[in-house]
Amino acid sequence: MPEKLTFDAIVVGAGPAGISAAIVMARSGLKVMLIERGRFAGSKNFFGGVLYTHALADVLPDYWERKPPFERPVTEQGYWFLSPDSVMRVMHKSQHYQKDPAESYTALRSGFDAWFAQQAVSHGALLITKTTVVDGIRDAKGRVIGVRTDRPDGDVYAPIVIVSEGVNNLLTQKLGLMKADLPPRLIALSVKEYIGLPAKEVETRFNLSGAKEGMAIDIFGDATLGLPGTAFLYTDKQGISIGVGLLLEEFVHHKLKPYEVLARFKNHPVIKPYLAGGETLEYGAHLIPEFGYDRMPDLAADGVLVAGDAAGMVDALHREGTNLAMTAGRLAGETAVEAHKRNDFSAGFLKGYRQQLESSFVLKDLKQYRRMTDFLDSTPHFMSTYVNYLNDAALRYFSAHGLPKRDMEDNIIKMLFQRRSFFGVARDMLKLLQGMRG
Amino acid sequence: MSDTKRIWVLIEQEEGKAHPVSWELLGAAQRLAAELPGAVVEGVLLGDGVEGIAAEAYRYGATKVYLIDDPVLNVYRNAPYAYGIANLVKKYTPEIFLVGATTLGRDLASAIATRVATGLTADCTELAIDPDKHILAATRPTFGGNLMATILCKTQRPQMATVRPRVLPSPTPAETGAGELVREPLGMTEADVAVKLLKVIPTDSGEQVDIEYADVIVAGGRGLGAPEGFKLLEELAELLGGVVGASRAVVDAGWINVSRQIGQTGKTVRPKLFIAAGISGAIQHRVGITGSDFILAINSDPNAPIFSVADYGIVGDLYEVLPELINQIKAQRAGHGAPEVAHA
Amino acid sequence: MHAIVAIKQVPDTSNVRINPETGTLIREGVPAIINPYDAHAVELAVRLKRQFGGKVTVITMGPPKASEALVECAEQGADRGILISDRKFSAADTLATSYVLARTIEALMAEGPVDLLLFGKQAIDGDTAQVGPGVATRLGLPLISYAVGVESFDPIARTGVVHRRTERGIEVLQTTLPALLTVEKEIAAIERAPLADVIRAAQYTPEVWSASEPVAFDVAKIGIKGSPTIVGKAYTPPPKKAGAAVKVAEKGVASTVTEALAKVKAAGVVKI
Repeated sequence: MPEKLTFDAIVVGAGPAGISAAIVMARSGLKVMLIERGRFAGSKNFFGGVLYTHALADVLPDYWERKPPFERPVTEQGYWFLSPDSVMRVMHKSQHYQKDPAESYTALRSGFDAWFAQQAVSHGALLITKTTVVDGIRDAKGRVIGVRTDRPDGDVYAPIVIVSEGVNNLLTQKLGLMKADLPPRLIALSVKEYIGLPAKEVETRFNLSGAKEGMAIDIFGDATLGLPGTAFLYTDKQGISIGVGLLLEEFVHHKLKPYEVLARFKNHPVIKPYLAGGETLEYGAHLIPEFGYDRMPDLAADGVLVAGDAAGMVDALHREGTNLAMTAGRLAGETAVEAHKRNDFSAGFLKGYRQQLESSFVLKDLKQYRRMTDFLDSTPHFMSTYVNYLNDAALRYFSAHGLPKRDMEDNIIKMLFQRRSFFGVARDMLKLLQGMRG
Repeated sequence: MSDTKRIWVLIEQEEGKAHPVSWELLGAAQRLAAELPGAVVEGVLLGDGVEGIAAEAYRYGATKVYLIDDPVLNVYRNAPYAYGIANLVKKYTPEIFLVGATTLGRDLASAIATRVATGLTADCTELAIDPDKHILAATRPTFGGNLMATILCKTQRPQMATVRPRVLPSPTPAETGAGELVREPLGMTEADVAVKLLKVIPTDSGEQVDIEYADVIVAGGRGLGAPEGFKLLEELAELLGGVVGASRAVVDAGWINVSRQIGQTGKTVRPKLFIAAGISGAIQHRVGITGSDFILAINSDPNAPIFSVADYGIVGDLYEVLPELINQIKAQRAGHGAPEVAHA
Repeated sequence: MHAIVAIKQVPDTSNVRINPETGTLIREGVPAIINPYDAHAVELAVRLKRQFGGKVTVITMGPPKASEALVECAEQGADRGILISDRKFSAADTLATSYVLARTIEALMAEGPVDLLLFGKQAIDGDTAQVGPGVATRLGLPLISYAVGVESFDPIARTGVVHRRTERGIEVLQTTLPALLTVEKEIAAIERAPLADVIRAAQYTPEVWSASEPVAFDVAKIGIKGSPTIVGKAYTPPPKKAGAAVKVAEKGVASTVTEALAKVKAAGVVKI
């Protein structure tokens, strides 16, 4: 009979949420086991993203001294509206972004997560990789008291389990915290590539003055064939992260192959020159939960807390997820520490975690934008109609030589209502406003 | 005499039968000798009652054969073979020593190289004399065939290399040949050998294939979908007088015996006709087949790398293409008689 | 029973890509793994330990990162891991490598008796299959390469019977112990390690030996100095000029096959 493996806390999934929770708990002296199914933390998380330092600093105040593997500070950011042959750019560059450390950085998640997990280990957490949690273990009263892994003699026990397993939240479902499986319209699939280019090339192409500048661009319109979704382009140290995300349902409905959507985007006449001569070094796809505020699972039950993608903590509109996950993970960790102090792991006490989230930006933002997914869902033409219109209008505006300006302006307005009725536009704008205001 | 540069070739034999790679190497040795002033081509032969093989070596171009004939050498074992040959090397100081990259040759060559503290390049696909330095330039695939590296042995001698069977062309032997036989003692007794051969379990006769020397190979990969797919390949192979080969993926999956495996970790082949059915053609596989005269590839994926080495590619379902191929061959045969391999 | 396994951390060559312009390897994003054959050697050692008691030591020569591979071996059940790491070892060929490993094993043999030395049959990055036989030769130990099975193993009588695969079949060989085996994958299927072993390994830090401590290696025999061979040049294999690839979907299966057969005939390689 193998000895019973017991820890003070178990964290399922070494992503931003789980690692944050592990750091907070280990720092307080808890014996923490952090379980990751990949070969290493971050191995399931390829590619580029933007990381916000406020959330990281809350978890790890001395993160800067620990030399995180950031790519470039984001010193210029904004939106590109892409029509099939044109682009309208709304970019913001400011001296305010130029500081050390900056507010946000581009990073390659595989390297960043591995580094972040190492910080948990250096705080005393035990990181176990290549191990999948297949179920929770509960006592007679239904309280979660541990987890079952896929390894021989793989049961491990702790009075508190933090589930940060990511979007594929099978454990959350098995524990009965999520009522139903997610419909494909509430999950997006993002296909991404990391394209290698010499630093000099990256800087020349994006007009960056050196390694201390970087760009993060969100792209709408033709990048997603006008379907509800977004694309992005981030500059890395020696390369570019590029990706495109669509609701799973759109891929299915329009019979699109994810890779083809990305290939098409990469070949767009506006995008192509930025990538020329680069070599694809990594390629992969990732699911993004877009359940929204109203469909989040229960975040706490007896002996268990849920954080990060597993709970749908993604703000799709602002392409934020890691900062929500880190903050939620930290709050879950703090709750677990407090629970140990009081020796109370009941749902009643753990629900305090949800209240803390409600008063943080995590749930406030999710609540505010809770109708965005529904908006895009019910207004599928939004991306194509308006983005194409913007570009056509700009073309008319900038090439209206020899035409009375008044006629040109009338023209531009007419163009819009040819595409969409006056009431249609009014309804779209109202819905958009509702989506934005919450 | 000190100007004589001996190029040695191991005449590999088992059960009194020489391995054809020995003759391929004698051919290569003669080409190297032509580039190296003062070079002579000589053979090294070990075994028990194997003197007769020396005469064959002369016909393939050896001017001299060093023979150690001893009952201890009746079956191959690393220690006595390596000991005997290392002593020959120390005594006769060859400049270059070529060994077949067979199971026996690879096992033996590294032991010899270690004993005489010289450099050994494994699994070469190309041998040349560096025109400036007058030393052996041995080229081999590395990193799973993704990279070719030319290896030089700076100062130590002999410069040793193992070469895979069938990487080099087979020479035609001369009608007659004569050379000098130099006998040397082994200097070791059975009591000195720690490893004893208890028995040999021969490979199942159904599985015993000489795939390296086959003229026609019909090989299958993961695209077959299931092990049963090999039945179709067998039918085509039989029709063409060939044998069935396989990619590593399906060998690893247990669909077919490892003796059929072609590629970097399997066998190198150079048939006249190689048919690849449902093989994607990873570089590790491709390096094993590029010596083929004609490669016909069938794959449903138009981007399969196998097409980059194929002389003719068919993008389609192999379960449609192969039966059609079999039918058309049969139909043509109906008028033309039995198959025959053309002699190039 | 004490078994020593020598392993190598290698780039996963199924993931290796070459920069077509420079002809150099792109190592970025290529995972480092335990050489697959070596992992089976570790598995065999651990099984013998479970059967006969004793311990398993794993050694590797490589950069500091190779320590990860030793931790993975600890997960598999190895008791001790030694990383032999020093800049002085770099650019070693197989002769210099076998020297370092042989001296390390000698040092371990001086600590106590060793029954078995295990190596993978070859490393998938270099594919030389030379280091194992080289070490056996240096140590004057019986060598059985390409081993596929252990029929019997008796650490008390100090003998074993091992199956070895050759072109003509399976050789059944008896050997005295200690002996050195280089193994094929069939030698032992890798089982998933129990959770307790993984937890133990996560807390284990392998030893690191340098070129001078605790074994003082002969500097003339290690690294580039001790390597008789050098890489003259490295290049990507030139692509063969491929023939046409015809789509059945466009031409129909019958005419595609007819054309293919005509091409085969025209090449004159085989009479149909």
